[in-house]
Amino acid sequence: MGEGGKKGGIFGAIKEFVYGVAAHDSARFALKTRASMEHLFILITMGDMLGVPILPPYYSLRLLPYVVPQIATWKRRMLREKDLTDGLA
Amino acid sequence: MNAVLVLVLGFIVFFIGYRWYARYIDKNVMKADAKKATPAKMYMDGVEFMPTSKNVLFGYQFKSIAGAAPIIGPIIAIQWGWLPALLWILGGALFIGWVQDYSSAMISMRNEGASFGALSHRLISPRARIILLSFIYFYLLLIAGAFGNVVVSTAVSLKAAPMAWLFLTIGGVIAGQMIYRWKKDIILTTVVCVIIALIGIFLGTVAPSDKVIGAGLANSRLLWALAACVFCYFAAVLPIWRFALPINYVASYIVFLGLFFGMIGVFILHPNFTLPAVSSFTIAIGPVWPIMFVTIACGAISGWHSIVSSSGTARQLEHETDARPVGAGVMFVEMMLALFALVIAGTIYASGAEYKAAAALGPGLIFATGVSKFLGVLGMPAALGKSYGSVMMVVLAITIMQLVIRFMRVATSELLSDVSSVFRNPHIGTFIAGILTLVLIMTGWWQYLWILFGGANQLMASLALMLVTAWLMSEGKPYAWSFYPMIFMFVTTIAALCYTSYSLLWKVASGVVKGEAVVGNTLMGLVGFFLVLAALALGVEGVKAFGRYRAARGGLKEKPAQA
Repeated sequence: MGEGGKKGGIFGAIKEFVYGVAAHDSARFALKTRASMEHLFILITMGDMLGVPILPPYYSLRLLPYVVPQIATWKRRMLREKDLTDGLA
Repeated sequence: MNAVLVLVLGFIVFFIGYRWYARYIDKNVMKADAKKATPAKMYMDGVEFMPTSKNVLFGYQFKSIAGAAPIIGPIIAIQWGWLPALLWILGGALFIGWVQDYSSAMISMRNEGASFGALSHRLISPRARIILLSFIYFYLLLIAGAFGNVVVSTAVSLKAAPMAWLFLTIGGVIAGQMIYRWKKDIILTTVVCVIIALIGIFLGTVAPSDKVIGAGLANSRLLWALAACVFCYFAAVLPIWRFALPINYVASYIVFLGLFFGMIGVFILHPNFTLPAVSSFTIAIGPVWPIMFVTIACGAISGWHSIVSSSGTARQLEHETDARPVGAGVMFVEMMLALFALVIAGTIYASGAEYKAAAALGPGLIFATGVSKFLGVLGMPAALGKSYGSVMMVVLAITIMQLVIRFMRVATSELLSDVSSVFRNPHIGTFIAGILTLVLIMTGWWQYLWILFGGANQLMASLALMLVTAWLMSEGKPYAWSFYPMIFMFVTTIAALCYTSYSLLWKVASGVVKGEAVVGNTLMGLVGFFLVLAALALGVEGVKAFGRYRAARGGLKEKPAQA
């Protein structure tokens, strides 16, 4: 790696460090908020996959193509063992 | 002894610990593999499990663990002499601190990002999980009380602090509004709101609290304790983007700049230590062992770090090899922060008597005076430097305090919602946490409260090391490097908690303390003994688990954890 790349590496590392100190928490919280709303929506529309039938199957089928990419992640999040100490994460 | 020499020693220990010891363990024991998929990659949900650059995580881990503790601890502990404090900071971080931080992240990573409750259930027993969660609640109460005391004593002894604190809060709330509602550019928001906070620091020098609200109110501990609790109430109940997060965001720049330039000031001034290297084995708050070892918490070893490492960081590590720089590296940086605080306490006063007079007014005054002196070398006026140092102290304490009260609100709901649905109400949970904290602040003896907090914190660390040792045993890996630190911390913290709790309850029983102090001392003493009992119960479960794993290694069939 050339000198320019090395300097970019050091400055890039400092930039990332400052981002980690100042803003990473906020970014994670924004993502968590969005994800919790998305997962709530998927629970309402696709809840029968987890044994929670809410919406009639007709509407679930209409929405299915749009939520397919997120179903695996959603199921894992819903069924993952949760703990009180997750509140500090 | 020159202060720069102390910092150089710190760098040497940093190098030895990180480059040799941690590297050896990472490569030969844990066998970290950069190509192996971490939970962040396996379960990538873009929320909790998200591969993140190690530089970002370095900053995130540092911000999460660096609170008031690495600063307050050395300032109190120097009463035994700067030499024992220095040896504990260096030795503790080298042999125990980084071990706990790093291995907490590793075992969580190797167990699908499981947090401590789940790990204790899996590795020790289901009963261990329940005991651990109860322990955590009271441990957090002690954090809230101890840090609340720091905020109150700083606000009372440094009249510039309240105005600076107020403007920091205003700047933070405006930052939240600008980012999340008005969708303004982040750089513009940062510049505007940091300037607002800096204006507050300046205004603190021209409009100190005794001139604005009168000396009577400015010296009222109750007023500032209520202010801290109300602040934490809003932080716990309001949407996090509106209050807590943006205030932490603005505050992080204030703290980071202060620490950075303060360190530069130390190197330029290179003062000598004026306090004695060793004063006495036993002082008013107790003997050097075990009390000093729990007084200096985060700078040497801290259980709080293991909770952050396992619950947050481990789920974001992109590669297994990132655990060493993030876990171990950040712990050594925190060790440097503790050395900075030790240098402040040991060099800014001409004599022990002057230090004692300042210490009676609280550690915030000592820290702010030190920051003022070292920033003064760079041209900042003394009064402004003191105001800056005071708001740094308040911020470092209150950012952790608000997180803790927010968590206690959640914990109250989880633990007591089956008893009555009223506990599900966030206001009730926050009110309960706030009232308990207020009682501790107003009636607790702050140095004893700090020791209890330190004891609980270090005990949490020994429990984390117990989990690490159990996991290492279950995997058939060498475990001496975590086992002996665990034994040392377990024995030391149990001794410290027993000594302090007994002292507090003896003072109540013999009538030495009177009035409202009876409430605080009794509460603190009982909480201390409860923590000891919880730790002993967990220790028994841990010994049983060790026996199971050793038997399994000996070729017998391993029994599953029994309830």
